[in-house]
Amino acid sequence: MRFESFVALRYLAASRRRAHVALIAKISILGLALGVAALIVSLALLEGFQDRIRRQMMDRAHLRVSPAHGARLADADRVRDVLAKVPGETSVTPVIEGRGWASDSAGTAAMPVRYRNAPGLDDATGPVARLNASASLRIHSGEGETIRLTSSRLRLSPIGPIPVAVEARVAKVTLTGALDKTPEVEVSEATARSLSGVGTGAGAYEARLADPARADEAAASVRAALGDAYRVRTWRELNAPLAFALRLEKAVIFVTVALVILVAALNIVSNIALTVVEKKRDLGVLTAMGATPTSLERIYLTLGAVIGVVGTGAGVVVGVGLSLLLERYHLVPLPSQVYLVSHVPFAVYPGEVVAVAGFALATAVLAALLPSRAAARLAPGEAIRLSR
Amino acid sequence: MMLAVKAESLSKTYTGEGAPVTVFSGLSFELEEGVFAAVMGPSGVGKSTLLHLLGGIDRPDSGRVEVFGESLEDLSPRERARFRNERIGFVFQFHHLLPEFTALENVAFPDRIAGVAAREAERRAEALLARVGLAKRGHHSARALSGGEQQRVAIARALARNPNLLLADEPTGNLDAAAAQTVFALLRELHAERRMTTILVTHNPDLAQRCDRLFTMSREGIAPSTRLPERG
Repeated sequence: MRFESFVALRYLAASRRRAHVALIAKISILGLALGVAALIVSLALLEGFQDRIRRQMMDRAHLRVSPAHGARLADADRVRDVLAKVPGETSVTPVIEGRGWASDSAGTAAMPVRYRNAPGLDDATGPVARLNASASLRIHSGEGETIRLTSSRLRLSPIGPIPVAVEARVAKVTLTGALDKTPEVEVSEATARSLSGVGTGAGAYEARLADPARADEAAASVRAALGDAYRVRTWRELNAPLAFALRLEKAVIFVTVALVILVAALNIVSNIALTVVEKKRDLGVLTAMGATPTSLERIYLTLGAVIGVVGTGAGVVVGVGLSLLLERYHLVPLPSQVYLVSHVPFAVYPGEVVAVAGFALATAVLAALLPSRAAARLAPGEAIRLSR
Repeated sequence: MMLAVKAESLSKTYTGEGAPVTVFSGLSFELEEGVFAAVMGPSGVGKSTLLHLLGGIDRPDSGRVEVFGESLEDLSPRERARFRNERIGFVFQFHHLLPEFTALENVAFPDRIAGVAAREAERRAEALLARVGLAKRGHHSARALSGGEQQRVAIARALARNPNLLLADEPTGNLDAAAAQTVFALLRELHAERRMTTILVTHNPDLAQRCDRLFTMSREGIAPSTRLPERG
């Protein structure tokens, strides 16, 4: 072991005989550990929720082809055929959607909604609908109840133009997710066509892929096949604003909570500076014995590095451990009637833990640099003379 | 005889929070190799400052210091540190042992600074501690030793690199008469054994009289040396 490390470690270990330096170092370690743990838990919390949101994004269409101009696909069959030939495609469905009003059977509660067709809805016993929680709450209609959907489209009747309306039984209410804040009603394709007046063709086509990660590749081949008359978007592009918001949210949380680590770093600066003052005479004596200014600097950089490694290590253990416990035992419950998840989710990603640890370690060593330089600039004669 | 130390026209002023204090100005000093010299003088005339300048742990405002023909001013900080490590040993009035370390570790420091492996450095330190009569005290904390023992450990530490020049700044100033005699006798023995040049700052005229050469410092400078009778 180099003599610089030997001195630094002894300063840290001398807890019983000379408590000052060791106590100061322990306070620095604690501050850093708390900062690291707070950052890891915050990011795990964020990732837990963002994972759910990303999963929701991927639960929807992975590719969407819509007309570059206008509301209807010029050649819907060709679009369907091209999508059906995409490698890894698992389903291709037309998109029939529109806007209208939803009201309860008595007509006492009504609201504007988006409707669209969705697979899995069977009209064999009459039209059925699937509401999201937002729509269900606002028109006071639950499963088994009947609602009225009124399209913005008009049709001619013997008494003149009247809106197209359908009464549908609520087959299911889906719980609110991050993407379901706006009221939505899902109906069968036949009902959607009836409401929108789109008898044949479609406003757009959507495809799902076995591997959503290959959506960009698939989109490129579809674009090449269909040309400029169609707009081809992947699930990432469809959710680009949300994905950007998620990245921004993560960056803001990182920067905000990282301030705790910066405060801990300032604590390290002041504590090591205090140690330099406390050990001024020793530094003078070491210089008299032949220690170079670089050696003195190394002693305090080692002190900073040890504080950094121990503090970061403890912070990682506490942060990761706490996040895993919270996720494993669902220690923070959520009302399952309102949210998609029954507990606050936590997700720990090794890459992020490494980034946090690297940041904390680098901050600790940089924090030690300033007082270390001061130690290296110390006038040894003065240090010895003034310590008599 | 070759000069061990040659200081020419040294000036040193301390500039602290108050008014600047000029310790000395235009001070010159020479000492031949192998001499055990004493420097006496009232407090505040700059005896310790002179030792610090000769040992290269402080720098003069003007003037020049040569130690064994090497001008300290011409050395880089790294070279000066190595020069101190290899050729100069310091003993301070208040021993200045590092309190977190044992006596053995303190004595091993100069070797460890020089890059000697810890085990070898401690082996040499054990031999040195045995030489100063503290073979059984090596693993005691520096704080657990008596004043005289602490100073003997400090002497062992100063000799760890087998220096050519030993600078002792009032090493007996903080000791009772008996301990002072022991420490001084040890210094004399080691000086003879190792053929060093030794400069001892002291307020004790009895000890000063027992040195080879006596210098007296005052506000006016350092007086020409008094050659003392050879001791048998």
